Amino acid sequence: MCGIIGYTPAQTDPNILDVLLDGLSGLEYRGYDSAGVAIADSSLSVYKRNGELSELEAAVPDRPVNGQAGIGHTRWSTHGPPTDENAHPHTDCNGSVAVVHNGIIENYRDLREELEAAGHEFESETDTEVVPHLIETSLEQGADAETAFRRAVDRLEGNFAVAAVCSDIEGVLAARHRSPLVLGIGDDGYHLASDVPAFLDHTDRVVYLQDGQFAKICPSGIEITDESGAVVDMPVKTVEWDPEEAGKSGYDHYMRKEINEQPRAIRNCLRGRLSEIDRAVSIDEIDDLERPERVQLISCGTSYHASLYAARLFRDRGIPASAFHASEYDADAIPIDDETLVIAVTQSGETADTLGALRDANRWGAETLAVTNVVGSSVSREADHAMYIRAGPEISVAATKTFASQQAALAMLSSALTGECSRGFVEDLRALPDQIQSILDRSRAEEVARDYIDSDAYFFIGRGYGAPVALEGALKMKEITYKHAEGFPAGELKHGPLALVSERTPVFAIISGASNQEKMIGNVEEVASRKAPVIAVTDSPAAVEHHVDDLLRIPETRPQLLPILANVQLQLVSYWVANQLGRSIDKPRNLAKSVTVE
Amino acid sequence: MDSYAAIVLAAGEGNRLRPLTRYRPKPMLPAGTKPILEHVFDALVDAGIDELVAVVGYRSTRVQSHFGPTYRNVPITYVSQEKQLGTGHALLAAESAVDGTCLVINGDQIVDTRIIRDTISGHEADASATLALLQRPSVEAYGGVILEDGHVTNIVENPHDDQDYVLNAGVYIIEPAVFDAVRASEPTAGEHHLVDGLSALVDTGETVNGVVSEGIWADATYPWDLLDVSFELFDAGIVDGDRPPADHRDSNVHPSAVIREPVVIDRDCVIGPGAVVGPYVCLGENATVGSNAVVEESVIDADTRLGANATAIECVTGIGVTIGAGSTVSGGPGDVRVRDRIFEDESLGALLADRAHDDGGVTYVPGSIVGPDVAVKPGTTVRGTIPEGTEVWS
Repeated sequence: MCGIIGYTPAQTDPNILDVLLDGLSGLEYRGYDSAGVAIADSSLSVYKRNGELSELEAAVPDRPVNGQAGIGHTRWSTHGPPTDENAHPHTDCNGSVAVVHNGIIENYRDLREELEAAGHEFESETDTEVVPHLIETSLEQGADAETAFRRAVDRLEGNFAVAAVCSDIEGVLAARHRSPLVLGIGDDGYHLASDVPAFLDHTDRVVYLQDGQFAKICPSGIEITDESGAVVDMPVKTVEWDPEEAGKSGYDHYMRKEINEQPRAIRNCLRGRLSEIDRAVSIDEIDDLERPERVQLISCGTSYHASLYAARLFRDRGIPASAFHASEYDADAIPIDDETLVIAVTQSGETADTLGALRDANRWGAETLAVTNVVGSSVSREADHAMYIRAGPEISVAATKTFASQQAALAMLSSALTGECSRGFVEDLRALPDQIQSILDRSRAEEVARDYIDSDAYFFIGRGYGAPVALEGALKMKEITYKHAEGFPAGELKHGPLALVSERTPVFAIISGASNQEKMIGNVEEVASRKAPVIAVTDSPAAVEHHVDDLLRIPETRPQLLPILANVQLQLVSYWVANQLGRSIDKPRNLAKSVTVE
Repeated sequence: MDSYAAIVLAAGEGNRLRPLTRYRPKPMLPAGTKPILEHVFDALVDAGIDELVAVVGYRSTRVQSHFGPTYRNVPITYVSQEKQLGTGHALLAAESAVDGTCLVINGDQIVDTRIIRDTISGHEADASATLALLQRPSVEAYGGVILEDGHVTNIVENPHDDQDYVLNAGVYIIEPAVFDAVRASEPTAGEHHLVDGLSALVDTGETVNGVVSEGIWADATYPWDLLDVSFELFDAGIVDGDRPPADHRDSNVHPSAVIREPVVIDRDCVIGPGAVVGPYVCLGENATVGSNAVVEESVIDADTRLGANATAIECVTGIGVTIGAGSTVSGGPGDVRVRDRIFEDESLGALLADRAHDDGGVTYVPGSIVGPDVAVKPGTTVRGTIPEGTEVWS
């Protein structure tokens, strides 16, 4: 999982390096174990380093580097460990072609053997390096750069987006094959990138490249061609994301900023979709979707927890529904028909596992719906329908506000598709932004985190609507604190996990005042009698407080919306534990924001 | 015209506005339906300021989360003032974030763009600082300035003598020398004040100029002043200047509801059948007015809910307040107690702080102040000041 960028200024630009480095910082969330840039003028200059982007920034020259075109890359290792050599860009034997690549080239071993047999020398262990050598081969046979690039790409199998610069041509060549690539049309030049934040500072006018298309960006403009080489006219779209949302605005971490943005994110998610007067939920972009007979949700990670929540909501409203790990979906071999609605839930809309499962569902004839944060993302284009959660860009690798917005969006979706909507449900949804704000205003999570910082492990339990959010609480804790954490449906504790419970394993119990309260208190007693400290996250403190050691209060709400509120407290606990442990909160080790490899 | 960075002082709580400042600083209290600070930022951006430096302290996350990293494409740098030890202390906290001449402004008072433009254009090269000044009949509650031929000769806080003072509007253009003067000045009661630094410059013979402006300026000292501040904005046309009446469409307004202008209705509001809203009403984001409810001359902040048949006249609410079905805030005048002071005959029906909640059928005696998270049971009569978190039974 990586990010690539390319840039061609309208005129030779001494600041090209800055534009490239800024672009990479906008893509850092996609991976960050190494980074590099290549700038083409009469010759090629390549700078690359293992480590975070700051390592690369320290390694580039202070003086301006003139260039007509440049490419850049942030890498998250899939082939070969993170080292300077394995960092992109990769070059050919002569150092006249440089290539960056996102995705996986499945047949690279064969290609490499063939190239090595022909005398090419490889410097890295990456799959990417075959590309510059393939281009070199064609160039040596007399092909022009564009033809050489096209021939090289034709030889590749797998999922990839590639971009290349050559020392003798103006511009950047690129191709998309099942990995995201978007072009940006700026006033001072042309951009390409794996994702829009890379160039949002320069332009909001974009062209989304389709699979199989080639693009050339050069000082005079962009040219998009299909597999046969015919010029294609693609629509220019304006992205609405505000580049301002890409700054930390005074917070130490994006995660904290994004946690605090949840009231606004939920407002945006609900806007125009609720009518309290008519007691109705309506979602414009999917108003042609009818009540399905069955629902399957496919997703990964945090989105999977939102899907477990949504499956329960659908079942409550009489529609058989299940959530599946996208990576296991084909192996699960679930019966599917054209009465089944398959909902792909992915923040980025580019998650490879989810896209793979969605393609299976499409192939098997299901009606498909994407629930995503990114307009124009692959999932939104490949599904029959798309609903947007409108959370705004999320930079921190650990998903926070997008989980809240996914849950709110899925709660509305379950109501809109079934037509079941009480006035109280709309009222309670509209109360969410302020209720979240009230948690942010007075959460004791920082104190709780301090009190339990020296624990061996953290457990999270809940029942009903409280169960998925218990899993999410544990995932967040794992991701950013590197501490052992597990979430369980509360009733499962006694069937095994209880053996792990001790006085050094605090247990966070999500307890709704309106549902399952007695059973939850029973589970709390189970762990308390093993001396585990219990922290209740609850909307009914009076009934709970004498059973537990600590309370994290949330405003009173219906059980269906409780997880959205409880999660805010759990996010804050994880944040403060990680903060007090000095972890790299926004970029936890080994993780990337959107995972575009299967 | 030169373009300056602006240091915006937004770190203080504004404790005379309690209990509304329980969870947010005074700059984030509403004027119309936007925070006071947003009006200040608008005035600055309209005057061509191209860099904002916000000094934040008390409940700073509320400022940061509202504005984010930029406002109307102007970048905001946040500077933290951990302890609020005066305006001079706040200014020094921001020193490293600016270069050369800059503008300094209070973030908790309404100032229009004209005052800012007048101050910028009145700043002369030989002056260490230029102050924005206003002709007001009374300056006792604020800073008074003696101006002679455009030069400031004396600055007095809360003057009580009968000299010819003009009011310090809290907008300054300063040269770097002012930072040094503030640093060198003696703290008063443990606090460094910006004006003490300016006074020191005047005393040492430096040129400090004043520009008398006729722009709009408004300040809320006590909670009920929020009504007057918003009404002034209506009368000055500022409140709905950038919000055309078409904005109502975005909300869910029942066709049988009556809107009596001037009214400003923010996004996502719901107004039920038969409700009467206005005149002089500000409905914050996502507020709800139930069927047949009546709201007049009130500032209703975001997420507040008025039940069916509720009446709210001369009412100020915080965020997320619930005035239940059939409850009545019948309007002033009333006597209001703020700590140990009684203010007689103020035009305040009732003030309900963030997330105060009544279950309906409640009568508010004029001048009532209801603290945050107070829960009032049905049929109660509320009078006086109710502390935070209290449950009130009839």
